[in-house]
Amino acid sequence: MNVAITAQPKRKPSFSDWLKTLTFYELLVGMKATLKHLLNYKPITLQYPHEKRLLPENYRGMLALLRYDDGTEKCVGCDLCEAACPSRVIRVVSGEVPGEPTKRYSKEYYMDMTRCLFCGLCVDACPVDALGMTREFEWAVYDKRQLHLNKQQLLAIGDRAYPVREKRLELQHPNVAFFNVTFKHLPQKEN
Amino acid sequence: MEIGLRLAVSLAQIAAVMGVVMLTVMILTLAERKVLGWMQDRMGPMEVGPYGVLQPIADGLKLFFKEDIIPAGANKFLFTLAPILALVPAMIGFAVIPFGPTMTIELFGMQVKPFVISDINIGILYILAFASIGAYGIILGGWSSNSKYSLLGGLRSAAQVISYELNVGLAIVGVILLSGSLSLVKITEAQAGGFWNWFIIAMPFPQIFAFVVYVISSVAETNRVPFDLPEAESELVAGFFTEYSGMRFAFFFIAEYANMILVSCVAAALFLGGWNAPYPGTILGHLGLDALAWIENVVWFAAKVYFFLFLFFWLRATLPRLRYDQLMRFGWKVMLPIALGNIVLTAIAAYFFPR
Ligand code: SF4
Ligand code: SF4
Repeated sequence: MNVAITAQPKRKPSFSDWLKTLTFYELLVGMKATLKHLLNYKPITLQYPHEKRLLPENYRGMLALLRYDDGTEKCVGCDLCEAACPSRVIRVVSGEVPGEPTKRYSKEYYMDMTRCLFCGLCVDACPVDALGMTREFEWAVYDKRQLHLNKQQLLAIGDRAYPVREKRLELQHPNVAFFNVTFKHLPQKEN
Repeated sequence: MEIGLRLAVSLAQIAAVMGVVMLTVMILTLAERKVLGWMQDRMGPMEVGPYGVLQPIADGLKLFFKEDIIPAGANKFLFTLAPILALVPAMIGFAVIPFGPTMTIELFGMQVKPFVISDINIGILYILAFASIGAYGIILGGWSSNSKYSLLGGLRSAAQVISYELNVGLAIVGVILLSGSLSLVKITEAQAGGFWNWFIIAMPFPQIFAFVVYVISSVAETNRVPFDLPEAESELVAGFFTEYSGMRFAFFFIAEYANMILVSCVAAALFLGGWNAPYPGTILGHLGLDALAWIENVVWFAAKVYFFLFLFFWLRATLPRLRYDQLMRFGWKVMLPIALGNIVLTAIAAYFFPR
C-alpha cells in the first residue's frame, strides 16, 4: 500500500505569528510551566535509603529455594528450572535419594545471579513449587562472586523470606518431595 | 606610610568583595541544584546537613582532596595555565562594580569609597576586555588537554565567544550613549530617581531591546543553557574540562559561576539602575536615617543580581540546547542587527532629546 506523503502547504505567517516570535512567546510558555512547578512544589522523590517504596505483592526479586513445614527441601532435582531458564543461571546436579531409587533430589544447586533477568520462568516451570521469588532487591555486592549462590545460600534466602511454609503431604518421603500430583485416595493438600 | 595604609585598605576591600563573591558562588552551586530540582519535581541535594544546605562544603572538600590528573600528551604548561586564565578574569571584573551608593568615608585620614574597589572611568570596557581573556582559558583548556571532546568544546567556545561578545559590546553602547560615560559608577548614578529613569525604560529611547540582547548574549557568554555548547554533557562528555579533575576543575567551575554573578551585576548596573531603589531616594533616607540608607541600596542591588541569577536557573530548567548552526544564525542574523539598529535609533534619539 502506498501512502501518499503530501507536503504541508506552507502557511503565510500571520501577524500573530510574527508577534509571537518577537516576544519569545513559546519560550515564555515553557518558562511559565517550569515556574508553575516551582510554585506548587510537590516532589515525587523518595529518599531511598531512609524511606522505601512499598513493593507490589507480585514483585519479582531475589530467587530462593523453599522447604516444607517440617524442614525438608521441596526440590526434587527434576532439572526443569534449568531447562526453562533463558539465561542459563541455574545448574542442578540431580541425585538419587540413598536407598530409594525412584526418588530424586538435587545434590547440588547453583545459581549465577549475575545473569538472572528475573523473568520468573524457573518459578513457573517448577512442578513442586520449590522455587520462589522474594521481595529482596538490595543485593549490591563488591565482589561479583558473591552472587554465585549455592544450595545452602538459596535455602537460607527462602527461610528468611518465606516463614510460612507449605505442609508436606503424607505420601511424600521425609527427605524428598514428590511431584505435586494428588491422588483421590490420599489426603488432599489443603490449599 | 600613607601608601602602605592605602594598600592595606584596598586589600581589605578586595578581600571583602572576594569573600562575598565566593560565598555567592557557594550559595549558587546549591541554589542551582535546588531550584532545578524543585522545577523538575525533585528535591535536589538532601543528604549533607539539614535539607542539604552543607552540600557546597562537601563538594568543596571533595574537589580539594581529589587527585589532580594531567593526561598523557597534554601540554602541561597550558593545561595548568588555562584554569587560572579562566578564573582570574572572572574575579577581576568585580573591581569596578558599584555595590552600593557612591559615598566616601574618612578612614585613617584617607578618602575611601566603601562600595566600589576602584572607580576607573572605563569600567565597562575593562570588564569586557577581561571577559574576553576568560574565553582564552576555555579555549586553551580545551586545546591543551589532548582530547577530542575537550578540543571540540574549546572550538565551539571560540566561535561562540566571537559571535556573542560582539553583541554584548554593541548592546551596551546604547546605554553608554545615554549616560555619556563608561564608568559603571556614573552610569548607575545617571539612573537615580525612580524606576522610570532606569535605562531599560528610560526616555528618550528605552533600551529594552538592548537589554534583551544583552541578557541572551550574556547567557551565551557564560556558557549556560541553552547556549552550553562548549560543555554539552550529552554530546561532549563535559566539553572543554573533560580532562580536568580536582582543584583545576573547581577553578573552571568557580569561574563559570563567578562569570554568572559578574554579568548579572553588569546587567543590574547598566539596565536596572544598579543600587538605586525603584522609587526616588530610599525609604530609610526619607525616615531621616540617612546614615543607614546604604543598606537599602545594597539590598536592592543584591535583589536585582539574584533576580538575574534566578533567571539563569530558570532558563536552564526550561530550555533545550541550541544546535550549533542555530546558535550562529541567531547570533549573527538576529541579535547583531537588533543591537546595531538599537545603537542607530538611540543615537538619533539622544541627539534630538539630550538628557
Ligand atoms: S528468573 Fe528467569 S533468568 Fe532468573 S533464574 Fe529464573 S528463569 Fe533464569
Ligand atoms: S524445577 Fe523445581 S524441583 Fe525441579 S530442579 Fe528446579 S527447583 Fe528443583
